[in-house]
Amino acid sequence: MTGKGKSRWADSAEDAALEAQLKKEKEEKKRLKAEKARKAEAEKKKREAEAAAAAQRQQQQQQQTGDDDDANGPPAKRRRLSPDRDAAAAAPTASSNDSSKLLRFEGGRFGKCRSVENYDKLNDIEEGAYGWVARAREIETGKVVALKRLKIDPKDRSGLPVTGLREIQILKDCSHRNIVKLKEVVVGDDTSKIENIFIVLEFLEHDLKSILEDMPEPFLASEVKTLLLQLCSGIAYLHSHYILHRDLKTSNLLLNNRGQLKIADFGMARYVPDPPPPKLTQLVVTLWYRAPELLLGAARYGPEIDMWSVGCIFGELLTREPLLQGKNEVDELTKIFELCGLPTDESWPGFRRLPNARSLRLPSSSSSSSSSSKPPSTGGLIRAKFPLLTAAGVSLLASLLSLNPSRRPTASEMLEHEYFRQDPKPKQEAMFPTFPSKAGQEKRRRRETPNAPQRGQKVQDLGQVDFSSLGGIFGSGREREERGGGFSLRMV
Amino acid sequence: MQLAMSSSFILRQLLNLLQKQTLYVQSNSRPSPADKAIMSHMVNPLATPEQLYQRRSFSALPTELQDAIFFSTQCLTQAAGLLLQLPQSVTAQANVLLARYWLVEPMMSHEFSDISAASVYLIAKLSPYPRSPRDLALVYNYLLSPSSTFFHPSSAPTSDDSQPPQQPPPPSPPTNIPNDYYLPEHVYNSFHTRLLRCESRILYALSFDTHVSLPHPLAITYLQALDFLNTSKSTISKRTLPYLNTALLSPQMLYLTSQPNALAVAAIYNAAKDVGAKMPECEWWEVFDVDREELGFLVVGMRSVDAWGRKMREDVERMKAGTGSGSKRGGMITRRDIEGELRRRGISLGNGDDDGGITGVGSEEPVDMEAEMARRMDEKMAEIEGSAS
Repeated sequence: MTGKGKSRWADSAEDAALEAQLKKEKEEKKRLKAEKARKAEAEKKKREAEAAAAAQRQQQQQQQTGDDDDANGPPAKRRRLSPDRDAAAAAPTASSNDSSKLLRFEGGRFGKCRSVENYDKLNDIEEGAYGWVARAREIETGKVVALKRLKIDPKDRSGLPVTGLREIQILKDCSHRNIVKLKEVVVGDDTSKIENIFIVLEFLEHDLKSILEDMPEPFLASEVKTLLLQLCSGIAYLHSHYILHRDLKTSNLLLNNRGQLKIADFGMARYVPDPPPPKLTQLVVTLWYRAPELLLGAARYGPEIDMWSVGCIFGELLTREPLLQGKNEVDELTKIFELCGLPTDESWPGFRRLPNARSLRLPSSSSSSSSSSKPPSTGGLIRAKFPLLTAAGVSLLASLLSLNPSRRPTASEMLEHEYFRQDPKPKQEAMFPTFPSKAGQEKRRRRETPNAPQRGQKVQDLGQVDFSSLGGIFGSGREREERGGGFSLRMV
Repeated sequence: MQLAMSSSFILRQLLNLLQKQTLYVQSNSRPSPADKAIMSHMVNPLATPEQLYQRRSFSALPTELQDAIFFSTQCLTQAAGLLLQLPQSVTAQANVLLARYWLVEPMMSHEFSDISAASVYLIAKLSPYPRSPRDLALVYNYLLSPSSTFFHPSSAPTSDDSQPPQQPPPPSPPTNIPNDYYLPEHVYNSFHTRLLRCESRILYALSFDTHVSLPHPLAITYLQALDFLNTSKSTISKRTLPYLNTALLSPQMLYLTSQPNALAVAAIYNAAKDVGAKMPECEWWEVFDVDREELGFLVVGMRSVDAWGRKMREDVERMKAGTGSGSKRGGMITRRDIEGELRRRGISLGNGDDDGGITGVGSEEPVDMEAEMARRMDEKMAEIEGSAS
């Protein structure tokens, strides 16, 4: 089939033309790659060229029945003289699209780290639980970047922290406009001992948390939508690539002066196959953004935990206050149940089998008798808390904050949600207000927020917790709800 | 008759695939950046030509010694992976990482077994199967002890399971003396320190890029797409994977010069040839984006590892016998062995003065190096053309 034997078309005019072309290419290649100077017999080449041409003709015939592509298209795959590829690439003639038919995989290369001395430190941005972050300028190009120092505990005898290595690897693999970009990893000048490791990230002016803290008025509805859409498309990208972020919160979302949001800080992130492996650590996600199934001790979880955090961030964008500020695991769970209602066997089948659920004492009525006098759904409670939110917004927020993980929308489902299509339309990023540049230039007041859990920390046992007094919505959380003054203007 | 029919059927299927792929390529002539993470599971960073040149001129080590070190260290890594009960996917990644590291830093800068341990430790740490430094210390301590069968003459030929075993009468198995591999605390501590130093050295040399894509899963996927008619898939896949694993030991560093898809196709091709399976008659490898030239090169490369490995093993054993530290024969090659061997040959390490002769590419003029390289490439081409036609 591939034309091993003599071809019937061997002496056609077309063949002569093709041969001429191949010869031309070959000469050019010889010129370009003189050092390769290989003395293959011309005869052999000729025979191969003929064979290739024959194969082309045959295939062309086969395909004429199916589709009438241009004659230069598919047959090109049959080129035999692959050494000529170089010439074709060098001189983009008609045959250059021949070689592009095979998918070429670009994996990049490997080599040593550069030194941190290639950067000029401008100012510190943050010194906190995550280590040290500074604004710096690359001397060569003048570009401003963020330098993040990998936190290494010299007493830790297990070597470089696996979280840091995962963060580097995941960021290296990612390329999306809503995910912070890792430029390179650099090390201190003394390379005999690798102690100072810096991750070079693209620099963004703000983080969402400090903007929320400092802004006098909350974001407009259109701005909230833009931010959420960007957050969500970044997460959709991560989840479709089997990456769980596991520490989404407003202080890990960066914003530049052009209204672009980027997800940062992948210190907790990891690749998780689908279906998830049976044992993942439950100690992930900062407490205020931690999903109920994690608080109840689930060791098998998936992208839904990130979606819960998105729900918390959504609420925070609306009010400028973190939505669920629990003091500890038990308090957090209480706050969640106050807002979302108590879980029932109908709303979340199987939650009683989670390790920490056994110690919960839930009002016995909630499962059986309540079906007649059904407690208001989560939507109702959320509606009461966010009186200015549209119905679509409430339904989105309520679904994100479903106790049952399987009821939460996926990131790609969320992108399609009606909320984003309703007026007011998401504001264009370029139209975003700018904020005074803060990253490091001025010290900001910092409020105490809990940090992401540390690796190796002990999982806290919830102990005996009594929720029976919580009695659905009529519990203590009620007073804290924001009440509209009788009526309120709906932002339509 | 039926054979012919079904093979033409397969051909049509393949052509369909081919067209689909062509369409795909045309619609995104350049893979969009959003595909990068998906693609990253299928591609590896490759060695640059400069790095491959450099390897020859890096140190004063003659090429054959470099190859001996490479081969025995990769074997050691595999042996350690077995004893640590790591899946082959982890050990193989460690092999690739180690090979990359030695293209960036000179081989003699650290003890070979330490670098091997560090690459296993690092990859295992990032995998779902982390191993503690103590596990590694115990395993390496055992493998390097006279009691282990690693590279002991009695365990020849190589433990590599792709080779048909042809047992020569074993000289005498090593006697198991537990004292040989007792691990005192101070030995463990110094091993641990070296392990961590090597770990960060590897990361530094590779810019913290620990990503390795293996061809094994791709090979299985490709096998599912192919149909070898007279042979069952399990027969072929049982032959395919050993080819991939053996290729890890190749001095040509196939994993650093070819992408996983090409390795997978070449292993399938070799396996099919071995078991006499009927392959599609068209150029089916192009469906998997491998061109004929690369396939030819890899097929020859993979087939040569077996014979080369046996010879390499003899060389290593001879070298060990030559430098003979005590009564012990065989075992893992060490830096001291190499230094001894160099002294024996009258080459002193460090001033880059080697004896030219058979292997002395290292210290010659760059022009000569290029000529030598060109000659080698010519030879390789002739070889490929010979085998392909």
